[in-house]
Amino acid sequence: MNLSEDWMSVVVAAILVILVYIGIIGPNLISIKW
Amino acid sequence: MAEERREPTWLYFLIGLVVVLILAIATNKLAHWSAGLPLPGKMGKVLEYPLWAAVLGLIVNVIVTLTKTRPFIQPGVRTELYLKIGLILMGVRVNFQTILAAGGGGIIQALIMVTSVFLFCWWLAGRFKIPDTLRAVMATAISICGVSAAIAAAGSVLAKKDEIAYITALIIATALPLMVIMPPIAYALGLSPEVAGAWFGGNIDTTAAVVGAGTIHSARAQEIAAIVKMSQNALIGVVAFILALYFVTVVEKTGERPSARVIWDRFPKFVLGFVVMSILATIGLFTSDHIHMLKTLYKWGFAFAFVCIGLELSVAEIKKMGWPPIIVYTIVTIFNTLLALIVASIIFGIIFKPAA
Repeated sequence: MNLSEDWMSVVVAAILVILVYIGIIGPNLISIKW
Repeated sequence: MAEERREPTWLYFLIGLVVVLILAIATNKLAHWSAGLPLPGKMGKVLEYPLWAAVLGLIVNVIVTLTKTRPFIQPGVRTELYLKIGLILMGVRVNFQTILAAGGGGIIQALIMVTSVFLFCWWLAGRFKIPDTLRAVMATAISICGVSAAIAAAGSVLAKKDEIAYITALIIATALPLMVIMPPIAYALGLSPEVAGAWFGGNIDTTAAVVGAGTIHSARAQEIAAIVKMSQNALIGVVAFILALYFVTVVEKTGERPSARVIWDRFPKFVLGFVVMSILATIGLFTSDHIHMLKTLYKWGFAFAFVCIGLELSVAEIKKMGWPPIIVYTIVTIFNTLLALIVASIIFGIIFKPAA
């Protein structure tokens, strides 16, 4: 396992959560449904 | 995964990312289209997005191999990164109580599975006179969690790069068909989503394909499969430490003692991210809009990872080492499949029944 990649996933996920939490990433930005 | 990769340039990373994004969008369209097809019963569920993503990935894999353009996209083909981001975000969907219940069962299952499958593979590979380093990498990969475990084991026993590339190719070649055929078999056997998820988690070698099989089966199976697999992933460090200890004291007899710090170094940190997200969601930090958005994001992460599994399969690598490792890998996979079914049925069907 690449440790830096492991930590990178934590950092990217944290950034995404913050962006969702403060409303920058919202339904208007990603409208495609799975 | 980076040990066998060159440092990614930002441009190539972006090109690869765009290719993966386009394939994920195409996957989405195909999954919506196939959902409307009049397919019979639960079997029609095989055409869920993990299968479409892997198939599209395989098609582009053939194209970039034939046109020799793989280096331009390779830095953006990051199965593990996308998968781990997806798994962390998926924590928002999983109640912390479920993690405690399924994680407890998962750790017991993992201890039984890892020990039995590792030792069986180690013994069988010895009978086939496979080199010790390849044996160690193969046994760890098949008993714990595929590619990441193979790389962790390779670090402990100083395996050759081509041995890692070979095992990685074998893992993906085995995991892709299992991802597709295990969910219908679970339905045919009448397994509950909990047992089915634990079976996928205990058997399929690479975490991406475990999540893929769970996705094809049901939301509940996906949840349990991911938790069980992560419980297994958490053991990488312990196995890497024991292997390093065995190689320096028994095989190489160098007299050096590996540091126990490897247990933490190899511990998959994304598992902590998943648990933290679950706790934050369970204490009510997120609104329903936040949760909806994070669910959409984790499905994008998974779709990216499934596309990348298809992109990463290398048939050329598999041809390099001849038949003995393939025969060993196949026999151990069958053993793993049957044992995981029995262990998952006992642990998740009788002893632990995680509340939904």
